[in-house]
Amino acid sequence: MLKFILKRLGSAVGVLFAASLLLYILVINSGDPLGDLRESNAENREYLMQQRIDYMNLEQPWYLRYLTWLGGVGKCFVGSCDLGQNINGVEVSGLLANAASSTLRLVLLATVIAAVLGIAIGVLTAVRQYSGLDYLVTFLTFLFFSLPVFWAAVLLKEYMAIGYNDWLENPQISIGTSILIGVIVGLLLQMLLAGSLKRRGLTFLITAIFVPLLLQYSLWLNFYRYPQMGPAIIVVLTLLLALSATAMSVGLKEKKVLYPALITVVLVLVMYYATFWILKDANAWILVIGAILSVAIPGLIGKFMGGRLSKLASGVAALVGLIGAGLTVLDHIFRAWPGFLDLKGRPIGTIGSSTANLGGGFWDNFLDNATQLLLPTIVLAIISLASYSRYTRSSMLEVQQQDYIRTARSKGLSERTVIFRHAFRNALIPIATIAAFDFAGLIGGAVVTETVFGWKGMGDMFSTGLHAVDPAPVMAFFLVTGTAAILFNLLADIVYALLDPRIRV
Amino acid sequence: MSNINGKTPQDLTSIAEVEDAKLAASTEQSKSQSRIVFERFLKHKPAMISSVLLVLITVIAFTSVGFGPLPGWWKQSYLDAGTVIDGGKPTLSLLPTWLGGSGFAIGEHPFGQDSVGKDYFALVMNGAQKSIVIGVVVGLVATFLGAVIGAVAGYFRGWVDEVLMRITDLFIVIPLLVLAAVLGQIAGRSSSSIFALALVLGLVTWTGLARLVRGEILSLREREYVSAAQAMGSRTSRVIFKHLLPNTVGVIVVNATFAIAGAILLESSLSFLGFGVQAPESSLGLLISQYQNAFLTRPWLFWWPGMIIVVFALSINFLGDGLRDAFDPRQSGKRRRPRAGLFAMPTRKEKR
Amino acid sequence: MSHLAPENTSGEYALSFNDLKVTFETSGPLVHAVKGLSLAVRPGEVVALVGESGSGKSVTSTAAMGLLPENANISGEAKIGNVNVVGLEQGKMRKMRATDIAMVFQEPMTALNPVLTIERQLTEALELHGIAYGKAATERAIELLTMVGIPEPDKRIKQYPHQFSGGQRQRIVIAMAISCDPKVIIADEPTTALDVTVQAEILDLLRELKDRLNTGILLITHNMGVVADMADQVAVMFQGNLVETGSVDQVLLHPRHAYTQRLLAAVPRLSAPALITENAPHSERTAPAGRELVLEAKDLVLEYNMRGKVFRAVEGVSFDVAKGEVLGIVGESGSGKSTIAKAVIGLLPVAEGNLSVKGHNLPKLSPKEARAVRKQIGVIFQDPAASLNPRFPIGECISEPMVVHKVGSKASRIKRAEELLDAVKLPRNVINRYPHELSGGQRQRVCIARALTLNPELLIADEPTSALDVSVQAVVLEMIQDLQRDFNFACLFVSHDLAVVDMLADAVVVMRSGKAVEQGMVETVLHAPTHDYTKRLLAAAPVPDPYEQATRREAWRLLNKNK
Repeated sequence: MLKFILKRLGSAVGVLFAASLLLYILVINSGDPLGDLRESNAENREYLMQQRIDYMNLEQPWYLRYLTWLGGVGKCFVGSCDLGQNINGVEVSGLLANAASSTLRLVLLATVIAAVLGIAIGVLTAVRQYSGLDYLVTFLTFLFFSLPVFWAAVLLKEYMAIGYNDWLENPQISIGTSILIGVIVGLLLQMLLAGSLKRRGLTFLITAIFVPLLLQYSLWLNFYRYPQMGPAIIVVLTLLLALSATAMSVGLKEKKVLYPALITVVLVLVMYYATFWILKDANAWILVIGAILSVAIPGLIGKFMGGRLSKLASGVAALVGLIGAGLTVLDHIFRAWPGFLDLKGRPIGTIGSSTANLGGGFWDNFLDNATQLLLPTIVLAIISLASYSRYTRSSMLEVQQQDYIRTARSKGLSERTVIFRHAFRNALIPIATIAAFDFAGLIGGAVVTETVFGWKGMGDMFSTGLHAVDPAPVMAFFLVTGTAAILFNLLADIVYALLDPRIRV
Repeated sequence: MSNINGKTPQDLTSIAEVEDAKLAASTEQSKSQSRIVFERFLKHKPAMISSVLLVLITVIAFTSVGFGPLPGWWKQSYLDAGTVIDGGKPTLSLLPTWLGGSGFAIGEHPFGQDSVGKDYFALVMNGAQKSIVIGVVVGLVATFLGAVIGAVAGYFRGWVDEVLMRITDLFIVIPLLVLAAVLGQIAGRSSSSIFALALVLGLVTWTGLARLVRGEILSLREREYVSAAQAMGSRTSRVIFKHLLPNTVGVIVVNATFAIAGAILLESSLSFLGFGVQAPESSLGLLISQYQNAFLTRPWLFWWPGMIIVVFALSINFLGDGLRDAFDPRQSGKRRRPRAGLFAMPTRKEKR
Repeated sequence: MSHLAPENTSGEYALSFNDLKVTFETSGPLVHAVKGLSLAVRPGEVVALVGESGSGKSVTSTAAMGLLPENANISGEAKIGNVNVVGLEQGKMRKMRATDIAMVFQEPMTALNPVLTIERQLTEALELHGIAYGKAATERAIELLTMVGIPEPDKRIKQYPHQFSGGQRQRIVIAMAISCDPKVIIADEPTTALDVTVQAEILDLLRELKDRLNTGILLITHNMGVVADMADQVAVMFQGNLVETGSVDQVLLHPRHAYTQRLLAAVPRLSAPALITENAPHSERTAPAGRELVLEAKDLVLEYNMRGKVFRAVEGVSFDVAKGEVLGIVGESGSGKSTIAKAVIGLLPVAEGNLSVKGHNLPKLSPKEARAVRKQIGVIFQDPAASLNPRFPIGECISEPMVVHKVGSKASRIKRAEELLDAVKLPRNVINRYPHELSGGQRQRVCIARALTLNPELLIADEPTSALDVSVQAVVLEMIQDLQRDFNFACLFVSHDLAVVDMLADAVVVMRSGKAVEQGMVETVLHAPTHDYTKRLLAAAPVPDPYEQATRREAWRLLNKNK
C-alpha cells in the first residue's frame, strides 16, 4: 500500500517537473513581453524597457531563466520560496499567499459540494432509473454540461445576487407567488419521494398547502431580516431526527439504539446553554474542535450503550450530535444576521473574495466570507456536479448488474442494504479516478469564475500574467494548482485503495 | 404447445435442429451493425430534434452572412457601424397579436444593435459560424489523433502506452483550459485565422478520447476474432484498421460529438478571457465578454450569444447521447462469461 | 401433459411448482420461458432440473427465489413449504430468502462482493434473520466455513474473496446458502465453472451437507454426469416444457421422451477400455513408417511476461502430430494446455525449445516465412460469440484468410465460402447474414469453415465445444470428425473433457501445471493410465449412468484417500 502510494507520488512529481518545463517554454514564447512598451510614446521608454528586462532577466537565454526559476522553487524546501518577480518587479511569492488561499478555498469547497451532492444524485437516479426524476435530472445535467461557465456566472450574478439583495431591502412574497412556489415544491418533492400514486398525491397536497403558509408566516415574522430559532426549535428538530433515524435503521423498539440518540438530544440542549457565550465570539478553532467533539462524544455513548448494535447506535448518535451542533451554530448565525445586514446592506457579494474594511466580529466576517463565496461556489459546483452525478449513475447501474448483487438479494437483504452496503462501495471505485481529472477541470473553471466575480485570486494572477507574457505569476499559479492537483490525486488514490481490497491486499 | 413463433415444427427434439430450422425459416432482412445502430438512432427523439435544430442553425449561420468570399442573403454586415435605432432593441417579434404580441415580424435588426449600431444578428451569426468551424475542426483533429494514438497505445502497449498515459497525466497537473489559453495566445498572435486556433485546440483535446479508445482496444484485442485474424497471418495494420477500430467506432463517434460540444465551450471561454478570438473579429464568447456589463440596460446583447452557445452545446450533447444509446443499448440479455481459454490472461491462480 | 403433477399434501414438499408459467414482455413478441411446469422437491432429496440453453430451467429457479426482473409475468404456483411465493409481497419474500430458500450460483468468481470480507458477507444474513449477532455470528460463520472445508477458517474469515481460489469461493457461497438452515437450496449449475476435480469435491460436499441438514436440493444442470452423481429425481426441460420426469435410474437408463433419448445419446462418453498390452509412448520409434509429421514440439518452454515478472506456463513439453492424426491435449485450467495452442498459432513467442510446423522451426522464422507457415494452420476457438468479427458478414468471415494471403479473385472467394458452408451444413444464403443472427453452434460451424478455407495442413482447436450445449456439441464434434476424415489434416485438439478427447483423438497429452504428466496413445493413457493425476482426472469426470457413477465415486474417494 505504502509502496503503491510512493510510486504514484514519484511519477506525479516527474510529471509536475515535465509540465513546468513545457508550460514555461510555451508562456515565454506566447508573445513579446515588451510589446506594450515598444508601441508607447513615453519619454522614458528606454528606461522602462531596460527596467523590465532587468526584472525579467530577459538578457539571459530561456533555459537559464527556467533554471533560475527552478532554483527559486527549490528553496521552498528550506523555507524561503523565491518565485521571481513579475513584470513590474513585485515579488510573486508575496502576491501568492492571499491569492492561493482564496482560490483553494473556492475550489475545495466546490469539489466537496459537487462530489457529495453529485454522488447522492447519481445514486438516487440510478435507483429510480427511467422515472420522472431520472429524466429531469438527466436533462438538467445535460443543460449544466452545456452551460458556458462565464455566462452562467453572469446570470447568477444578475438574478441571484442583485435580485436577492433588492428583495431583501423589503422582503415581500405575494399570496399568488407563494402558492406557485408551494405547487412547484410539491411537484418536485413527490417526484423525489416517489411511492404509490396515493402517496405521491398526499405528498404533493401536504407540501402545496404547507409551503405557502410557511412562506407567509416567515414573512410575518420578518424572518429574512431577523431570522431566529432558539433552543426549543433545536430540541424539537434533533428529537425528530433521533426518532426517525432510529425508526429507519432498526425500529423504535430497539432501546440500544434509541437511548443513546435520546441522550444526545439532551446533551445538545445542555451544550447549547453551556457554549452560548463561547460561541457568541467564536473562532475557527473553536468551531472545528466543537464539530469533532459533537461527533466523538455521542459516538462513544452509542458504542458503550449499543451492545451488539454498537456500530449502528454510535452512528445514529453521532449523526444526531452533528446535526444538533450544526443547528446550534446556525442559531448563532441567525443571531448575527441582523447586525451583519447593518454592516453590509447588500449581503450576497458579486465582486471580490471578501469585503474590505468590514469590521465587526467573527460571525460578521464569517458571514461576509460565506456570502462572497456563495455565487462562485455555486457556479463551479453546478458544472462539476453534473459530471459526478452522471458517472455515479452509470457506475451504479453497471454494478447493479453484477452477480454479487444478486447474491446479496438472495440472502434476503433489503433493497437499501443491497444498494448501500453492496452496490455503493463498488460503484465508488471508478469515481475515485475521475475525481482527479475533475479537480483539474475545476481549477480551470476557477480561472473563468474569478474573472467574472473579480477575485484577486490565482486565476486572475494567471490571466494577467499570461496577457503580459510574464512567466513568473503564471508559473506560480501552475506551482500551486499543480501541487494541489497532485495532492488531490494522491488522496483519490488512497481512497481508491481503501475502497478496493484487491489493490490493498 | 406452440414452438417458437410457430415457425418450427414441434416434433423437433434437438436444440441444434431447432436453431437450424429457425435460421432456414428466417425471412428477415439481414442488417449490418451500422444499419441497426442507425435505425435505433432514428428512434431517439431528443437526438432527432437536436439534429434538426443543429442543421437549421448551421444553415442559417452560413448562408445569412456568407462565409469567406461567398456572400450571404443578410444585407447587413457585422463590421459596419450604423445609427442606433430605438436604443438598439431587437425588432424580432414572435408573439402573435391574439396573445398580446405585435405579430410575427423580423424587422431591420432582429437581434438588435450593439452600442455603435452594428447589426447584432450579423455579429451573432458570424460568431456562430466560428463556433461551428471550431467545433468541427477540433472534433476532426482531436478524434483523428485520439483514435490513432489510443489504438496504437492499446494495441502495442509497452512504451507507447506509457508515454500516452504520462501525457494524459499532464492534464491532471495543467488544467486543459490553462494549456489551451497559452496555446490560444500563441495562435492568436501569430495568425488571426480561426483555423489556427481550432488546430491548436485540437492538439490539446485528444487525450480523453485516446484514453477511451485505448481502453476499448485493450479489451477488444483479447477477443477471439482478433486472435483469429492474427493467427491467419494478417498484417498489424489490417488487424487495427479492419478488426479493432471499426469495432470502437461507437466510442469514437460518441466522444467526437462530446469533443465538439467541449470545443465550442472551450473556445467561448478562451475568447471571454481574451486568449481566443481577438477583436475586431467576433466570437460568441467575445460578445458576452464585451457586453456582460450591459446586462441591465441592454440584456439582448448578453442573451443572444449565450443562448446560441447553450443551444449548440445542448443539441450536440443530446445528439451524442442518442448515438451512445444507439451504439450501446443496455441490453439486459445475459452475457456468458468465457472460461479461461486460449486468450485470457493467466489468472491469479495460474500465476502462482 | 403426461407426467403427474405433485399432490398438494401439505408439508411434505420443501419446494413445489404447480403449473408454473413465466412469460417475458420484450420489445418484440411475448417470450414464453416456462410453459406450465409441475415439480416437487422433498426434504433431503435432490431433484435435478436438466435442460439446455433456452429450456427455461434457470428462469424456474429465479422465479422460486422471487428474483425475476419486472418484465416477467408469472402464473401458477411456486411453493416453499406451504407458502406460495408467486405474487408474494416483497417484504415477506425477503424474510423467506436464506431461511427457507437459498441459492448457490454458477459463477463463484463473481458471486461474492469483492470489497467486503468473507466475515461480513457471512454474518449479515445471520444478523438480518436474527440467528446470531456480533461475536456469536462470527463464531457461527467460522463454524460454517469449517463445515464446508475451508482450512484455517478463523484466520481466513477476515480475508476478501480475491484471496480464495475458485473452488474455495464456491464453498463459501455454499456456506452462505446453508447459513440459515433453509428448507431447500437451489443450486444453479454449481460446478459448471469449475475443473472436474474441484467439481467432484464440491459435489461431495453438497451431498454430505444435504444428508446432514436434511435439505432439499433443486439442482439445475446441463451435465448428465452430475445428474447421475447427485440426483434422486430428474426432470428434463426443453424449450420451456417439462418433457420428462422420473427417478434418476429411469430417466438416465430408460428415457421415454425422444428429446431425453437424443440428449443422452449426445453426451460423449469414455469408451469401454480396450484390451491393449502395448504400453509404449507414441513417438516416431513406435509409429508406423511413413508418418508425415506436421507439428512437432521438442522441450517446449513458454512464458508469460506479466509486468516484468516472468511466469512459466509450459515447461519441457514434447509431442508431435502427423498428417491425418488428432492429438488431444487435456488438463485443467492453468495447466498450460491453451498456451501451447497459442504458441503454435504464433500469438506467444517460444521461450526455449523447438516448435516446428512441417519442418519449419517457428522461433527461427522471419516474419515473412512465418506468414507462409500460418497459411497452413487453421484455428477454432472456444467462444463462438467472440470469434467472429461482428461487423463482417458471414461470407467475409469465411473468406478472410484468402484476402489476407491474397488468394483467388472475388468470385472464387464467394464460391469457396459457399462450398465451405455446404461442408458445415449451413444454408448458402447465410453468406450475407451477420454473426449476431446465428446461434452459438452455427457460429462455431462458421469458425470451422473459416479454419478450413485455405485447406490447412494443421487445425488447432482450442476447447471448440466447451461453450456449447451438449446436443450442439455432438453436432460440431461429428462435423470435425467427418471433415478431418475428408481433408486429412493434422489436428491439435485442446480440451478439458476427457470423453471428447477419447472420442476424437488418436494420441493424448495430459498436462498439469505446465508439465506433461503422461502422454501416449489414447487407448493407453485414457484406459490404462499410469500416472496418479490422470487417474484422478478420469475418476473425477462423472458419467451419465447412476450405477457406473456410484462405482466411479468410490474409486475417486479411494484415490483421494491415497493422496
